[in-house]
Amino acid sequence: MENLGIDGKLLLAQVINFVLFFILVKQFIVKPFTIFLNQERKNEEDKNKILEKLKRSEEAGMEAERKMKEKMKKEFDVLFVQAKKEAHDMRDELIKQAESDASEIKDKNKKLLEEEKNLLYREVKDKIIKTSLMIVESALKESLDEVSRKKVTGTIIKNYKGQVQIN
Amino acid sequence: MKISPKLKQELRSFLTERIRKDQNRVTVFSADDFDADEKRDLVKKFSNLNWNEANYQVDKTVIAGVIIKVGSKTIDLSLMGSLSKLSNTLYEID
Repeated sequence: MENLGIDGKLLLAQVINFVLFFILVKQFIVKPFTIFLNQERKNEEDKNKILEKLKRSEEAGMEAERKMKEKMKKEFDVLFVQAKKEAHDMRDELIKQAESDASEIKDKNKKLLEEEKNLLYREVKDKIIKTSLMIVESALKESLDEVSRKKVTGTIIKNYKGQVQIN
Repeated sequence: MKISPKLKQELRSFLTERIRKDQNRVTVFSADDFDADEKRDLVKKFSNLNWNEANYQVDKTVIAGVIIKVGSKTIDLSLMGSLSKLSNTLYEID
């Protein structure tokens, strides 16, 4: 080996050196680096899992929200129909009440008008009768002199057919 | 205060007599004074009345004719009475 230019001791030392180097590198560089890489990979996987979980959770939330929106829409539709029906009924009731009130007011006014008409008629009649009688009375007083009055009195007494009953 | 029965009886008789006289008292209302002939005609027409204490009064509102009052009764034979009756009839017509 010496003839070949190989120094056995040196080779041995280099081998030992290499082994030591290998062990040291493996022990203090490769191993921590591997652990670091594994940790990183694991962290990445966890991260992906969490992201997946979050995605699923988000999808579930969106689905729940969609369902809730549908449910709310249905409830809203039901309530809307119910409210519409109630409003319609209320409107009918109000119209009916208003018609009834209007009819009542109309009848009342008609009655009032009739009463006023009758009152006016009676007042006019009263005035006409009083005026007529006043005219007749005035005319009789002016036209009848004493002789005429006595003549009328005599005729009235003469034509009286009744009897006076005295107890 | 106690009133004696005799006094009470006399008072009652007096008032009864007065009421009887008032009941039969005749009062005649006319527009003009009655002369004797007219009074005679009146007495003849209403012969059943007591004309002894008849009271004749002039009332121009009578216009013509007479109103005879006997106690609480009234015989209205005046033109004013006729007009009043006519007025009542007109009021009764609708």
